[in-house]
Amino acid sequence: MFFEFVHILYYISLIGVFLFCLFHIQKVSPPFIWICWLVVATSLSEGIAKMVVYFQLFSNNIIYHIFTPIEYGIYVVIFSKLFESTRISNILYGSWFILVLTEIINTLYFQPLHQTNTNIMILESVLLVFFSLLLFIFIKDSLKYDDLLKEGIFWFNSAILIYYAFNILVWGFHSFKIYTMINPPVIIYKVNLLFSALLYLVYGYAVFLNYTQQNHKKIKGHG
Amino acid sequence: MDNTALQSTDVIIFVSSGLLVICLMFGFILYFLMSYRQKRKDYILLESQKQEIDQQKLKLEKTLLELKQTQAQLIQSEKMASLGELVAGISHEIQNPLNFVTNFAALNQDLMSELKEEVHNNNPEEVLAIVDDIMENEKKIQEHGKRAEGIIKSMLEHSRSGKGQKEMVDINVMCEEYIKVASEESKIKLGNLAGTYECIFSPETGKTELMKQDIGRVLLNLINNAFYATHQRWLAEQTQNPGYTPKVTIKTNRNPQIIEISISDNGTGIPESEKNKIFQPFFTTKPTGKGTGLGLSLASDIIRAHGGSITVQSEENIGSEFLIKLPFK
Repeated sequence: MFFEFVHILYYISLIGVFLFCLFHIQKVSPPFIWICWLVVATSLSEGIAKMVVYFQLFSNNIIYHIFTPIEYGIYVVIFSKLFESTRISNILYGSWFILVLTEIINTLYFQPLHQTNTNIMILESVLLVFFSLLLFIFIKDSLKYDDLLKEGIFWFNSAILIYYAFNILVWGFHSFKIYTMINPPVIIYKVNLLFSALLYLVYGYAVFLNYTQQNHKKIKGHG
Repeated sequence: MDNTALQSTDVIIFVSSGLLVICLMFGFILYFLMSYRQKRKDYILLESQKQEIDQQKLKLEKTLLELKQTQAQLIQSEKMASLGELVAGISHEIQNPLNFVTNFAALNQDLMSELKEEVHNNNPEEVLAIVDDIMENEKKIQEHGKRAEGIIKSMLEHSRSGKGQKEMVDINVMCEEYIKVASEESKIKLGNLAGTYECIFSPETGKTELMKQDIGRVLLNLINNAFYATHQRWLAEQTQNPGYTPKVTIKTNRNPQIIEISISDNGTGIPESEKNKIFQPFFTTKPTGKGTGLGLSLASDIIRAHGGSITVQSEENIGSEFLIKLPFK
């Protein structure tokens, strides 16, 4: 079961993007350095989660309880660097604080450590969709990019919007329909895994585009 | 609720809502991409237009600067021209006393030789008579020398650089002074027939506070124009109307708070179509090189700076009248 196609695709994508990011982390602009760190952190958390499951140490849900605030924190840093606005940065860091607080309350009263923290994942997805839409507005107002399809920021933001909008649905469905089932249908998670694989591939592409741009600038600078 | 498996309706709901969400997001991104491209295109167009406008603005500013410099140069040359006209008139004025001085000095030289002879001949009566003559001539030399000195003083007054300082000026005296100078100058330029003038001064006009040099420039300009117009008409009519006599009249008057100076002539007059243009800078009816077209424009500026007004009434082949109104202070 573990080596099913979707799983293989997901892990190969994650490892591929992880390695690419690891080798290019120093050669991209600040927001993309943090995208690389996000991929690295995701890979590590996934690795730890799989090890926990493999060695049956404890419920791997604990990993997600810890990782979700960390992941959102990295997103906050990325967005704050992309917006380049102190006001938006303050809102972003404020939202991270709220998410951490909600995570604690959720763990204490609603979804303990052995359960998946879907409520927090939904909140994280809603916040990311909101900031992604806001970033689109900022991009449209700035008009500084010649061709958006060649911009890492566009691919990164588009990936966030689609993936996390879909995530709201997945985790919403999970919370209200599947959560209480004895044999939950794994197909939903596999679809989600497929989307995750695509998300990280797009992140990798965004980092690649930024790396190419930076490299081009360097060559131009030397020329 | 069945807790063991998903119902088909749930799957349909999940799949369809999932597809809907994804389609919506894709649609949004596609729409965003298209609208961004359009906006960017408009922005680039706008930027290029802005650049073009900026370049044109720079060009215009440069042209304006050049025009201002040219205008300043023309104003300067107009000032120099009016100064030249003034100098020509005054030089003619000086010529007369200088002739007297030279002639009387020569006469005295002859008398001195005669005196020497009479002293040698020991003829005291003749000596005394000659000495009397010499003294009489010396008096005349002194008198004409003083007249020349007065003219030079007046010239210096005109040529000194006025820094906008107002002074009390007798309007009638000033008008007479300037019409004399202009008349002499026009006689030199246009011949003896030109330069005939009449002064009708109201004794009530009195003194008022103004910038003498500037108002003088205005008067000189208007009077010169009047003489020029009369001469032009004389030239045009000398065969058809031999009885035509050119004449320039200068009148002064004072209403309680306003001083009026009228300069009229029986010259060619101003065509109706040109009446509203004569105070515009660089407008001239004179042939190229004869006028800068700044005289009346400057005159208008000077009068307005004094809080007054300048108007014109004219009829073609009848004559023109320029009326200056200045506040009495």
